[in-house]
Amino acid sequence: MTRLRRNPRGERAAKAVAGGARIRFDLAARAEDRGRPRRDPRAESAELLIGGHARPRLDRSGAAGAAPSSVEETAPTAPKIAVVESPAFLIAVVPDALGERLSQHDRQLFGAARMLAGADGAVVALVAGEVEGLASAGADRIVAIGEPGYDPEGRAAAIAGALSSLGLRYVLFPETSDGGDVARRLAVLSGEPLFSDVEQFSATSVSRAARGRRVEQRAASKRLMTVAADAVAAYAGPEREARPEPVAPAAPIKRAILDARRITADPATTPLTVADFVVSAGNGVTDLALFRRLAEALGATPGASRMLCDAGLMPRESQVGASGSVLTATCYFALGIAGAPQHLQGVAGCEHVVAVNTDLHAAMIERAGLAIVADAQDVMQALIAALKEEGA
Amino acid sequence: MKIVVLLSAGLHPVSGQSILPKVEAQALRLALALGEARGRHAGPTAFPASDALGHGLPHLVHVEIPAEADPVPALVATLEADQPDLILAGRRGQGGDETGLAPYAVASRLGMALVSDAIAVERGEADGTVIVHQALPKGARRRLVVRLPAVVTVHPDAPAPRAFAYGVARRGIVETRLAPPGLPAAERLEERPYRRRPKLMRSAPACGSASERLAAAMGATSSGVANVMVNPTPEEAARAILAHLRAIGVLPPKAA
Ligand SMILES: Cc1cc2nc3c(=O)[nH]c(=O)nc-3n(C[C@H](O)[C@H](O)[C@H](O)COP(=O)(O)OP(=O)(O)OC[C@H]3O[C@@H](n4cnc5c(N)ncnc54)[C@H](O)[C@@H]3O)c2cc1C
Ligand SMILES: Nc1ncnc2c1ncn2[C@@H]1O[C@H](COP(=O)(O)O)[C@@H](O)[C@H]1O
Repeated sequence: MTRLRRNPRGERAAKAVAGGARIRFDLAARAEDRGRPRRDPRAESAELLIGGHARPRLDRSGAAGAAPSSVEETAPTAPKIAVVESPAFLIAVVPDALGERLSQHDRQLFGAARMLAGADGAVVALVAGEVEGLASAGADRIVAIGEPGYDPEGRAAAIAGALSSLGLRYVLFPETSDGGDVARRLAVLSGEPLFSDVEQFSATSVSRAARGRRVEQRAASKRLMTVAADAVAAYAGPEREARPEPVAPAAPIKRAILDARRITADPATTPLTVADFVVSAGNGVTDLALFRRLAEALGATPGASRMLCDAGLMPRESQVGASGSVLTATCYFALGIAGAPQHLQGVAGCEHVVAVNTDLHAAMIERAGLAIVADAQDVMQALIAALKEEGA
Repeated sequence: MKIVVLLSAGLHPVSGQSILPKVEAQALRLALALGEARGRHAGPTAFPASDALGHGLPHLVHVEIPAEADPVPALVATLEADQPDLILAGRRGQGGDETGLAPYAVASRLGMALVSDAIAVERGEADGTVIVHQALPKGARRRLVVRLPAVVTVHPDAPAPRAFAYGVARRGIVETRLAPPGLPAAERLEERPYRRRPKLMRSAPACGSASERLAAAMGATSSGVANVMVNPTPEEAARAILAHLRAIGVLPPKAA
């Protein structure tokens, strides 16, 4: 099956004799161009087959066919890093980076910046302190703007300095309480137009809802923009360089916020819908006193499935699910919960799920990032003991 | 302490009727708890900002400007004369552009500090300071000590507004002032009717089969990567759970 594919047109053209008014061919001459090898579609699709399925399935992403041959070549080299050596323009992102890690919203912001930057531009992360994961999020450069901590006045002044010294084309902020605050300060400080709360984002224009979501306003991309959550997909390309760039320290300014102290939420009184960490009990939990002790030891807000709320064992406010609260927690810890669809609807927004259940085939186990098939009472006891041991 | 509350003309989120935005009525409650307060509204009519009189505001200054004019220069011109120590405003307007830029513009032109998203304001220990409790996401709070004069924007999590009372509304005073002439018109953006769009699926893989995308949309992540421990000892399970909770950052790191 390695016969070459013929190219009659090319062969004829090769035999043409130059000069003369009419086209003439030297039919005795041998064509040099033997054409490209003939394709064998049957063998190609056999290579794409992935096993383990009742019906034949093909992986057309290019991963399956290419992987076996290229493993030896690529293994010794480091993962490929995209570099923009001399960018035509700079696009800045100011992530919230609470606790020195990027949130999902921050990553989406980098996705938006990469969309604006294209191949020629570079994305600059303006961060205070060391933030992890900037390279994979899509940052080409890193510029420090002051120390970590709450200092919106200093931050706005530092970004205003960078705006002119680095000649930033766009600056993107997350539309959160802190990011939105700094963006508005910067807008009045620098006199640049601000387009806030962008819901529709493209490379050339942006739009936002106004008048109580009755109209949407559209404009060409403005220099300062705040982007709503889930407006743009996060960057998914190869890792970027994230090269630190030195800048002159900002001139000291007069601050009116004399002292700032963060007060963490009291998990016992936080409403479920805003809680960050929820530990929840279902029908598999029989010892509720132990469950409450565990919630307190973990510093988590207690929740429950409808079975326990209907039985009157937990208050109705703590019900998680379609007819209870829909969570926005970072982590959901489910003890003895089967994972009915009505319950899972309430958990859909949670980033991480940990489940403990005696049934390996429970839907909650399938949803969980860490699943423990064990008795919930024993695990709760061991968790409290482990936390006590660490505290002592 | 001279306190001014900025009151705008809002639209009801459902019916579209002219109302005083709820967050500004909440700002009024915070102001009245601190001392005597005055209201300030820039617009063609005093209504619906005059509804604040029923929520306990004794005196409203209405600066008359045309409907299409930018309210900020008019507010700044009249506030410069009064020199207030504290200005309270809403976090965002309601029914207008909803950019939340007006308090920032007022603060910068009056040379005042600004603090956002307050849910409580009290007098500070030192003279000329206030303590502001700021609402943060996920139920957290921040306690700030702020030097006056300052503009404070109020968050919807602040205490509910005082009840409306008709008799109190009748006793309140509305003082109308004329705005300085030559106000610039507010910038208008291109507008069209709002259209709902499909939501971005955060956890959805960009590629993958239809059933995988459906599973992602329903909240089930790819089951293949899940870390499942079958019948571990309770101690093993506890250690694995604590390590996982620390890795994702919801539990503080182990105290050494
Ligand atoms: C219209 C409608 C709305 C609903 N809305 C909601 C809602 O908002 N929220 C909600 O939660 N439910 C809701 N439900 C109910 C839902 O369908 C389920 O019935 C309910 O979620 C089941 O709760 P469960 O998982 O705690 O109990 P079960 O289904 O009884 O599951 C118990 C689980 O615990 C496990 N288990 C048992 N013993 C142990 C042990 N010792 N250790 C560890 N695991 C153990 C079992 O294997 C099982 O998986 C709704 C139902 C309807 C019809
Ligand atoms: N015309 C106005 N008169 C008085 N206060 C206003 C006016 N417009 C806006 N404000 C204040 O500024 C806040 C934010 O408004 P906006 O910038 O329109 O979102 C409002 O909650 C009001 O407190």
